[in-house]
Amino acid sequence: MSADAIPSSQAMTAEPSRRDRSLDLVGIVLSIVTLVAALASFFPIYWAIITSIKPDGEVISGSNTLWPNRITFDSYIHIWNNTNIAIWYVNSMVTSLIITAAVIVSSAGCAYALSQLDFPGRRLIYMLILACFMVPMQALIVNHFVLMAQFKLLNTWAGIILPQLIVPVVIIVYKQFFDSVPKEFREAAMMDAAGHFKILFRVYLPMNWGVTAALAIITFIGAWNAFLWPFLAATGEATMTVPVGITQVKDAYGIVYGKLMASAVVAGLPVAIVYLIFQRRVTQAIMLSAGVKG
Amino acid sequence: MADIRLANVSKRFGAVTVLENVSMEIESGEFIVFLGPSGCGKSTLLRMIAGLEAVDGGQIHIGDQRVDHLPPSQRGVAMVFQNYALYPHMTVTQNMSFGLRNIGMPAQEIAQRVADAARILEIEQLMDRRPAQLSGGQRQRVAIGRAIVREPKAFLLDEPLSNLDAGLRVRTRVELAHLHQRLRTTMIFVTHDQIEAMTLADRIVVMNNRKVEQIGTPMDVYSRPASRFVAAFVGSPSMNFLPVAGITDVGGRARVELAGAAAIQTGIPTRELPAGNGLTFGVRPEAVRVAIEGKGMLEGTTDIVERLGDRTLAHVRLADGTVLVAEDAGKSTLQAGMPVSLTVDGTATHLFDVNEAAYHAAA
Ligand SMILES: Nc1ncnc2c1ncn2[C@@H]1O[C@H](COP(=O)(O)OP(=O)(O)O)[C@@H](O)[C@H]1O
Ligand SMILES: [Mg+2]
Repeated sequence: MSADAIPSSQAMTAEPSRRDRSLDLVGIVLSIVTLVAALASFFPIYWAIITSIKPDGEVISGSNTLWPNRITFDSYIHIWNNTNIAIWYVNSMVTSLIITAAVIVSSAGCAYALSQLDFPGRRLIYMLILACFMVPMQALIVNHFVLMAQFKLLNTWAGIILPQLIVPVVIIVYKQFFDSVPKEFREAAMMDAAGHFKILFRVYLPMNWGVTAALAIITFIGAWNAFLWPFLAATGEATMTVPVGITQVKDAYGIVYGKLMASAVVAGLPVAIVYLIFQRRVTQAIMLSAGVKG
Repeated sequence: MADIRLANVSKRFGAVTVLENVSMEIESGEFIVFLGPSGCGKSTLLRMIAGLEAVDGGQIHIGDQRVDHLPPSQRGVAMVFQNYALYPHMTVTQNMSFGLRNIGMPAQEIAQRVADAARILEIEQLMDRRPAQLSGGQRQRVAIGRAIVREPKAFLLDEPLSNLDAGLRVRTRVELAHLHQRLRTTMIFVTHDQIEAMTLADRIVVMNNRKVEQIGTPMDVYSRPASRFVAAFVGSPSMNFLPVAGITDVGGRARVELAGAAAIQTGIPTRELPAGNGLTFGVRPEAVRVAIEGKGMLEGTTDIVERLGDRTLAHVRLADGTVLVAEDAGKSTLQAGMPVSLTVDGTATHLFDVNEAAYHAAA
């Protein structure tokens, strides 16, 4: 390659070869650190899975082998036959999907207004939303509980859903997205006789479905994994979500690790599937929301 | 088609006034160019006609309808944006039909109009592509197509050629002229490029610094600029400006004495000129010719020679140090450093007073 082909930024650094070699060293160290971290993160999951496919006796014996002596799906059959896990699954699926759809539509609308419309108090409202972002849900949980109790929504899907519709980060990410769209697109759409709803749903959102997909995925995963609020809002087995329901597995049978782990694996399955299918989108989503926090 | 009338239109952004009492009448079918330096308010004025900027004062009429309070979609005008603003997620067909679908036009008529526009613009083979799959020139056509299908009363184009490379810009300019001849629809075209303005316009609106400097045909603006600003902005190379040492009257016409040099007889009526000093003499390079040595009105030394092929520009330093650009034939033998004589065509000269107002030879 001729010297001309080297981009100027590289050409300016002296002795590029030494720089490359030191980068390689850093790269190896980073790779090792990443590998160790990945193994450390994966091990509990691995442990849960093999525990769930060991026979009860082997789990209790404390042999702690890395691979089951005998593989059995008894634990899975047991939780399917003896718990309400199917109902919990339906509850989780319905509430998570409704939360996701409602959060996406309402946040997109809210962010569009904050980003594109000029109305008194819009800066104040945005400040309040940013402030909400800093208040963890746990801090509001008593208020939510009292409110839902007064609305008589405890032990209903609505009661589980409503407090979880507050996801400021989705509004903030959407607002940043809309802010970044050149204003000519909105103007062209206005010349094309599109109203605000059309501009939002036919021009802005379709322009980059990636943003919506990413936000929908993190919202769905968040809703699926939510424990504290559904745990308080759903006290009857009929309205429990999966993460809440699996606590019942322990209560009913004493500490039965195999069955507990089987239900944990089942609970985590949808998130794992969503993650595997949309791996890139999830990473993008985490980066989008990290950009907000940074 | 309709005429467009602006009456005392003003625009403020916060405390800054960007347009003040702008008035003009645009005739139906005219090709009007807003010409001026960057930041003078051309785009703002166009966007006010389009309805994308609110009007802070004055009125805008399109045809016999007052439009300054109507939303953009109800003004019957179509806009082509500088960056085209094609919807990136829609195909060319969808881009062109979006506006028609929004007004509830029957699908059959939409298809017909889109097909017609595609044929006129020769983009039929691109109709299923998305903007990212098009070249700059193709995007530009699609943007024009999106405007054409609306069958607007007027096209508003904001620097539509500025994102094209030089060769394509010239070709597209010619095509735009053809399109105007074919459609005969009013077009308002914004540019800071005086060649685009000269070549395309029926009339040019020269703007500067919050106001309209001159409205006139290209030749009017070129040969009878209304102000020193217009004289300097239009024409390339730019007009020569020299300080005037004194004026004498010769048969009703002004004879201009230049500092340290000969006098030049102009065709400008003396009685129109203001009393007092501070006049500036203006002459375009094409009216200053290189003469046989010793036979000219002005003597100087050649500083720089620019060969353009068809003609040669000579930057000539006069005795008092001022530099004048003169024209010579393409095959000129001039060299830098050579002494040179110049003749000035007195009928093509201008005078400007301290307020930059212009005085020309009697028509
Ligand atoms: N939205 C705006 N807010 C504040 N100032 C603006 C806005 N749009 C344009 N301006 C100012 O108005 C002046 C005219 O702008 P513009 O019409 O875009 O100029 P041109 O198109 O002639 O280059 C500029 O000084 C610009 O900075
Ligand atoms: Mg502009």
